[in-house]
Amino acid sequence: MSIFVQSLISGILIGGVYALIGIGLTIIFGVMRVINFAHGDLLMLGMYATYFLFTQFHIDPFVSIVITMPLMFLYGAFLQRFFINRVLDALPQNQILLTIGLGLIMSNTVMLAFTSDYKILSTRYSSSSVSLHGISISLPLLVSFAITTVITIALYWFLLKTDTGQAIRATAQDREAARLMGINVKRMSIIAFGLGSALAATAGALISPTYYIFPQVGSSFTLKAFVITVLGGMGSVIGATLGGILIGVAESIGGVYFGSGWKEVVVFVLFLLVLLFRPSGLLGKSRT
Amino acid sequence: MAILEIRHVSKFFGGLAANSDVSFEVEEGSIVGLIGPNGAGKTTLFNCITGYYAPSKGDVVFRGLRMNGLQPDKVCRLGMVRTWQKVRPLTNLSVLENVMVGALCRTNSLFEARRMAQEQLRVVRLDQKGALLAGALPIGERKKLEVARALATRPKLLLLDEVMGGLNPAESEELIQLILEIRKKGITQMVIEHDMKAIMRMSQNIVVLNSGEKLAEGAPEEIVSNPRVIEAYLGAEV
Amino acid sequence: MPSPSFIRRKWITSAGGKRVIPLLLLASGVALLALIPLSVQSTYALHIMILTFVSIIMGSAWNILGGYTGQYSVGHAAYFGVGAYTTMILLQFRHIAPWYGMWAGVGATIVTALIIGSICFRLRGPYFVLASIAVAEIFRVTALNLKDLTNGAEGILVTELPPLKFGDTVITDFTTKVPFFYTGLITALFVIFVTRGVQHSKLGYYFQAIREDQDAAHSLGINPALYKNIALVISAVFTSVAGSLYAVYVGFIDPGTVFSLDVSVQIVTIAIIGGIGTILGPVIGAIVLVTLSEALRSNALTNALIHAGLVNADSRVGVFLKENLSHAHILIYGILVVIVILFMPQGLLGFARRIVTRKRKG
Ligand SMILES: Nc1ncnc2c1ncn2[C@@H]1O[C@H](COP(=O)(O)OP(=O)(O)OP(=O)(O)O)[C@@H](O)[C@H]1O
Ligand SMILES: [Mg+2]
Repeated sequence: MSIFVQSLISGILIGGVYALIGIGLTIIFGVMRVINFAHGDLLMLGMYATYFLFTQFHIDPFVSIVITMPLMFLYGAFLQRFFINRVLDALPQNQILLTIGLGLIMSNTVMLAFTSDYKILSTRYSSSSVSLHGISISLPLLVSFAITTVITIALYWFLLKTDTGQAIRATAQDREAARLMGINVKRMSIIAFGLGSALAATAGALISPTYYIFPQVGSSFTLKAFVITVLGGMGSVIGATLGGILIGVAESIGGVYFGSGWKEVVVFVLFLLVLLFRPSGLLGKSRT
Repeated sequence: MAILEIRHVSKFFGGLAANSDVSFEVEEGSIVGLIGPNGAGKTTLFNCITGYYAPSKGDVVFRGLRMNGLQPDKVCRLGMVRTWQKVRPLTNLSVLENVMVGALCRTNSLFEARRMAQEQLRVVRLDQKGALLAGALPIGERKKLEVARALATRPKLLLLDEVMGGLNPAESEELIQLILEIRKKGITQMVIEHDMKAIMRMSQNIVVLNSGEKLAEGAPEEIVSNPRVIEAYLGAEV
Repeated sequence: MPSPSFIRRKWITSAGGKRVIPLLLLASGVALLALIPLSVQSTYALHIMILTFVSIIMGSAWNILGGYTGQYSVGHAAYFGVGAYTTMILLQFRHIAPWYGMWAGVGATIVTALIIGSICFRLRGPYFVLASIAVAEIFRVTALNLKDLTNGAEGILVTELPPLKFGDTVITDFTTKVPFFYTGLITALFVIFVTRGVQHSKLGYYFQAIREDQDAAHSLGINPALYKNIALVISAVFTSVAGSLYAVYVGFIDPGTVFSLDVSVQIVTIAIIGGIGTILGPVIGAIVLVTLSEALRSNALTNALIHAGLVNADSRVGVFLKENLSHAHILIYGILVVIVILFMPQGLLGFARRIVTRKRKG
């Protein structure tokens, strides 16, 4: 029982980070209808930025987010402005390939700069944990969950309460209608990709104290991000939030009961089932 | 003899009844006009007839065969083919190849298919444009391509969904002549059209749909003088 | 005005016409290729050509499903891996020669393809792409976990192949690269031949109709599920053969090298870069990609730069390039994909044809 609770809690905690990844992807999909295959690579860039700042300038990973996040926002905006924007009207498959290509460039450039060695970012607290009623919780996971929560709330506030946020949601709902309403759709796309990229990188920063860091780490997170967004319904921010937590829990509990080797199979089978039977996501019909 | 019988067909989308309890028959060799205001359920009825939707209730009987649940490709092979309100050319294939795809439904030989396709292109007067990419055609010619491609499948019953929509008067007239010519070949047709004058000239029988229900059915003269039709539909237009 | 290439669809299919000259050219080209192992002594040159043949098989195989039928599978690693693993497992643990094992691989792949098809073909567009990836990932993780069968992450290493005999005469004992060269060449030619056959048949027209508009195709008497599955099986079978060939040639496989997303992406890239939905596209894509990435991998590019005096071999840049560029041959895939998608969405072949038509017009 305590093993179950233990894995449930760590599932929820890691699920918070997954939610960030999923929200980023779903915003990009919602606004552009482009599936971003470079999403995991953006996360990987976030990890390396954090690693770099930590080893060179001794900035704590959880603090360096304030640098990484805006930088990666700009980088995402740049990608959108000069690459993605050019294929918005192209075939979906060409959009997919473009993002795959961009992802390959990112991971291989990082490999050139940092080699393909596995890096470990070990802080004083990397392996420390807090104990509560006999259940031990990893401290970095707990901190990252707290930060995730703050960011998610801020994001919801931004999307619901600010003019730009509402314009982004309007664009996600119906691009054409948004254009007619006088919304600068191109600008919203740039903001959306910047946002998605910043969120992915933040997720990368948050997990960097507890994960191996290597250039190819992105692809498994890209896949995870797909699973999360499809579960929640492509384009749904709330769906992605819940989807992230669900996948975190499924992995964590699946790992305990099926063995850690098979937990990914559990996730992918779940993914296929949802694609087939609930293509609009577990939350139902709404696509926005 | 009726080639097609629609028996109490209903189609629901959630709570919306796009078709409800529609029944009528299509006489072999005739042209039946299907009219009704926007959103009346005309295209939905075509979709139910040709296998894109299974009717929620009721039966579609084609040449004595119950069609419910039969896929569109089987429906086509049985001799019933439709065109699309929003044209769907195979953009990166040539005009000739578009029609060949239709003809290949009846033959396995490319040579024979090419011959059949050229014949249909002559019928719609596109034979000069066979080598062009279908995506390069203007709208009027795309509509004719739809018809040629459908005819190439050698149908007994041809369902035309607003083939004149978006055309200028000269092009519309050309299509009316084409539809009348097709009738002479013994092919039965069901025609959705908004242009009342055109429908009057072509059809032997007219079915009026309104909010998914059949409002009236009869010869053109009867329809124009039917008070319910005038009230619900024609009042605004004639 | 639409551009000339848009009107004349020559760059998609060359519709018959003057057939004799190309045929003669083709025959002499093939003859020349077949003579290469007799005159070329460099095993490295043979090695690159074998890799090119395998890439041609992979790219052309994908092209039948992705290029002609419009089903963008990014999960072809599943078929590549099933072929590779079946052959290697039978060879290693059952001592069944690869030229038999390969057929077992083909059989396993057909079953796999039909199962995957029945699941994934219900989905369209991006959802199909995602499902195809997920399926391939399931295979990768399964191969990692079924350690008794696959050796797990350690992979399977085969150092010795049984000699190929005809009666009692030994045809080859596979100690040189030459038998692999001919196997690759013949299979690649066969795939190209099959692609040509598909393109000039009812099947090809039906595939392309589904690619262009599945609903319209359905209304014209085409059963999309049936024809998509036919395309998938043809495509998967050749991908599986490529996998077997690759595995036996290299002598080592693990889940990462045959089942990973990278393999799927590589397969798609070959076709896209050359130009999809064309017979020659994947051939050109394979040649360009293998040459470029080998040039990087073998440091030929760095050496050339140094040789040309552009970079000093002992300078920091020179040392850095020497040490690292060889690891980054995948980078070239990425850059090429981006350039092709942005500037020549019809691939190199379509791009070249457009330039030729433009020149002709003056
Ligand atoms: N797939 C669908 N899902 C939900 N509702 C649908 C669907 N298809 C049609 N409808 C609804 O059914 C009703 C009938 O639509 P239909 O397209 O059949 O009308 P129509 O008579 O062809 O109109 P028009 O003259 O504009 O072509 C409309 O209210 C439409 O919104
Ligand atoms: Mg309609």
